Amino acid sequence: MNKNRIALTLGIVCVILTIAICVQVNTIKNANSTVSKTFAEDELRDEVLKWKEKYERISNELDEAEKGLAKIREESTKDDSNSTSKEEQITLNNNLLGMTNLEGPGIEMIVEDDPNEIGPLDDIYNHVVHDADLRVLVNELKNAGAEAISINGQRIVNTTAITCIGNVIKINDERITSPFTIKAIGFQESLVGIDWRAGYIQQCLRPAGIVVNIKKSNKVEIPKYTGVISAQYMNLSK
Amino acid sequence: MILIAIIIGCIIGALIGMNIPTIPYTYSGYLAIAIIAALDSVFGAITSSLKRNFDMKIFISGFFVNAILAMALTYLGQKLNVDIYLAAVVVFVGRMFNNLGTIRRYYVEKLASNKIIAKAEAAIKQANEASKSNK
Repeated sequence: MNKNRIALTLGIVCVILTIAICVQVNTIKNANSTVSKTFAEDELRDEVLKWKEKYERISNELDEAEKGLAKIREESTKDDSNSTSKEEQITLNNNLLGMTNLEGPGIEMIVEDDPNEIGPLDDIYNHVVHDADLRVLVNELKNAGAEAISINGQRIVNTTAITCIGNVIKINDERITSPFTIKAIGFQESLVGIDWRAGYIQQCLRPAGIVVNIKKSNKVEIPKYTGVISAQYMNLSK
Repeated sequence: MILIAIIIGCIIGALIGMNIPTIPYTYSGYLAIAIIAALDSVFGAITSSLKRNFDMKIFISGFFVNAILAMALTYLGQKLNVDIYLAAVVVFVGRMFNNLGTIRRYYVEKLASNKIIAKAEAAIKQANEASKSNK
């Protein structure tokens, strides 16, 4: 057997092998797996990752189906002015409910914990962003006329709660941590006003060393609400 | 020659592997067992090329069939709730150690024989010089 051919074959096989190893290493790295203590923990993590994958796939399918539905609705209501206005109303309602991905002019605000060293007598509690801070900021944005708001990709809808669980903040049952990126769509001049007016940012956040950066953007993208809107108990009053 | 080919292959593979997308986590178990099977084939090939009985057909078929068989066994094991892949890992790794042992022995013996030859050559040279000076 020719030695060069052996070498060539082995080289090609090694290429395949190393590609496979790299892909595997990257996959495991992406799966965020830390060293686990027990076998059961491993199994549970596997299970969670598999469900997550399944969930993502199904939610992608749902997205596709919704797009198809919107198209069908558009086509079927094209010729009828009455149903066209109904269609517009449905779209508007969905936008307001948070069921759609939105974009438009607005602001992007980044709120971060105090980056400076904290003195020995100082309490760290005063230098981190709390759930209450985010609630006030959302309120200020709404007061300034924001039409849609998201924090770290979590859409603020009318059932959204911003709560504190230990050292992270929970929005729409998802955990998020500092830095917080708050996006809002609305009249830009009025929205940036919360930066300099004598309000919460100027009087409470900045004095505590918390970093707040606001910048205007003509294309703010706000994702839709991915949770479930429950309507189990409410009925129309007679 | 073979060593250079393997190193170049590994470098190219790593460069490509870093830049292609990852696979879903569900299938990473199958890929892992396939990697073990392929590694076993590569070590087997190195050993047989040292022994000069390397057969291309056997190597290529072993490379792919072993990997596919190992993946199929892993799948079957998952369906039956038995960790069959452990058996595949034990067999492949055991064989890998055997092959590594053969490779190691080959080079150790080669080194030792090289030393003996060098010694013998030195002795011959000395003898020659001695006979020359005697004349």
